[in-house]
Amino acid sequence: MSAIHLQNLVKKFGDFTALKTMDLAIADGEFMALLGPSGCGKSTTMNMIAGMEEPTSGKILFGERDMEGVPMGRRGVGFVFQNYAIFTHMTVRQNLAYGPRMRGAAKAEIDRRVGAIAEMLQLTPLLDRKADRLSVNILQRVAIGRSAIMEPAIFLLDEPLSNVDAAFRAVMRTELKQLQRQFKQTMVYVTHDQLEAMTMADRIAVMDHGVLQQVGTPFEVYNNPANVFVARFIGSPGMNLLKGRPAESDRGLVVDLGPLGVTPPLPDAIAPAVRAARADVLYGFRPEQVAVSDRGLSMPVSFVERIGARTIVHLGESESAVKAVFENDVGLAIGQTAIVAPAESSVRVFDAATGQAIKAG
Amino acid sequence: MRTVQAKPALRDEGAKLGFRLTLPAQILVLFIAVFPLLMQLYISLTDWSPLSGTGWWNAWSMWNNFANYTDLAVDARFWSALRRTAIVMIVCVPVEFLLGLALATLFADEFPGKRIFYSILLMPMMVVPAVAGYMFFMLFQSGGPVNDLLSAISGMPVTIAWLSDPTLALIAVMVADIWQWTPLMFLILLAGLVGVPEDQIKAATLLGANPWQRFITIVLPKMKTIVIIALAIRMIENFKIFDTLYIMTGGGPGVATETISVYIYKLTTQDLIWGYVAAIALAILIVLSIAAVFAMKRMARAREVPA
Repeated sequence: MSAIHLQNLVKKFGDFTALKTMDLAIADGEFMALLGPSGCGKSTTMNMIAGMEEPTSGKILFGERDMEGVPMGRRGVGFVFQNYAIFTHMTVRQNLAYGPRMRGAAKAEIDRRVGAIAEMLQLTPLLDRKADRLSVNILQRVAIGRSAIMEPAIFLLDEPLSNVDAAFRAVMRTELKQLQRQFKQTMVYVTHDQLEAMTMADRIAVMDHGVLQQVGTPFEVYNNPANVFVARFIGSPGMNLLKGRPAESDRGLVVDLGPLGVTPPLPDAIAPAVRAARADVLYGFRPEQVAVSDRGLSMPVSFVERIGARTIVHLGESESAVKAVFENDVGLAIGQTAIVAPAESSVRVFDAATGQAIKAG
Repeated sequence: MRTVQAKPALRDEGAKLGFRLTLPAQILVLFIAVFPLLMQLYISLTDWSPLSGTGWWNAWSMWNNFANYTDLAVDARFWSALRRTAIVMIVCVPVEFLLGLALATLFADEFPGKRIFYSILLMPMMVVPAVAGYMFFMLFQSGGPVNDLLSAISGMPVTIAWLSDPTLALIAVMVADIWQWTPLMFLILLAGLVGVPEDQIKAATLLGANPWQRFITIVLPKMKTIVIIALAIRMIENFKIFDTLYIMTGGGPGVATETISVYIYKLTTQDLIWGYVAAIALAILIVLSIAAVFAMKRMARAREVPA
């Protein structure tokens, strides 16, 4: 009953189109992350689900129920704001009790529910503390508790970890994921941080410029990006993409990269589709799946970043720049020429004109 | 003097140097603030008047053993002026507050023509009080626009003598004060209103609070400090109400609109009993100071909870 369906959802602010025809189905109990750079329309989508903004056209269904005209206080959604929006002039108890109190619940009933939710979130010893001097993880729990006490079928979280320092974010991520398991609600989580999306979400909806780019599990969007944007955006560093033209060789179909030479033969699974496409392509592979080899792409080393567990080697420059990530150290120095070969299974090919992935036929 | 928080030796050194450096300013402050106060206290204990033919410093020769203060305690005209001042304050300040709050709530949202209405609304505040006094003096004449308007509405000729009827004169004076000072209340409260965090209001809405509940549970508590400041400013100012009122009615008819300031003004310029005037002014200063200290303590407590 708490599945969410977005159908042909469009949002315009004057001449500016924030969201272009979005279709998305979020299953009951699913943790869906809306991921994208700022201005991609993810927050607009979330605000429309919450009822803070009206869609220009299109439909939002909760289960079977059309949400058009249902005001935000009656949609049964819990919303956790970026800065938590805790009522700082109240105590933790008053914050938790706010929803039931506004709906005129009986005092005994409110006390019982506040007690239960505080117990669940380990807030019981803090109930009578003023809410303006709490640490961030407590604020997060109060914000979640304040919404959860209304037993919403849907939880919306708007970048709740963006104000938290990096070290603490890992703790909060774990806590949040555990809370979701406890509540078993449908959760929609807006973020620009792929690490948050990858670690917590069941599925990720990648968005850019108001267009939904791809929906899939974290592994799907990482391994099989639907287009060039997703390939570059997911992963750090993102996927290497080299412009080239498919060419036949005696070893099979290869990509002619111009001055860089030709690539190793394309995997048999995608070669027929690339051959059929007859277009310029982008040859893509993950930086993590590159090996130093005696046959492959010969490129000068332009920079070496050593960050403990990993070493990132920058090869070539501008249009034909490639990054390679190695575990531990690698015997390459600036100025040397390295011969690198991407693992065959990691190679993805995109149509250079449309940016779409060329998938195995 | 506040002690400086530093190491003992340094603190002594610093405090001494600081005292020496600020000495000229402190003497100036003493001269401006404390000297007139002491002079006033001195004169209030005597029968001195500018007609006594001797300087105020010789007033000790007219020492009257606190007679001014004992007179004050039984001065019916003083007490009725004080009561009237309180009535004006009790009516005007809440009306100005509620009107200002309603207008501020209206102006917190966008609507067409907002900027023009905003400018028009602030205009009464810019009018010189004496000019406002003349405006309302003319508006409330028995052949004036107010009666014309009432005639047009009721369909019968209305000739109410607003400023000659004791009760109506007081009402007219209060209307003028409300007209002139609601804009200030509006301005202060609007500043407080736009400072209320928008996402807390949204959060309250999502939790099912209706607009009235949001206003009572989120908006007003967040504005607490600014509400106290606005009320304190207007109460202190309103207590001293004089210029508009004096031009409209001169305190009359009789003493029907005579407030403390008007009473003091009359005693000073007509009766010339300056010793008595000094006693009244000092008594009021003490009462107002106690009220101000009380208000400031409330404010400090409110500020401990940042919005």
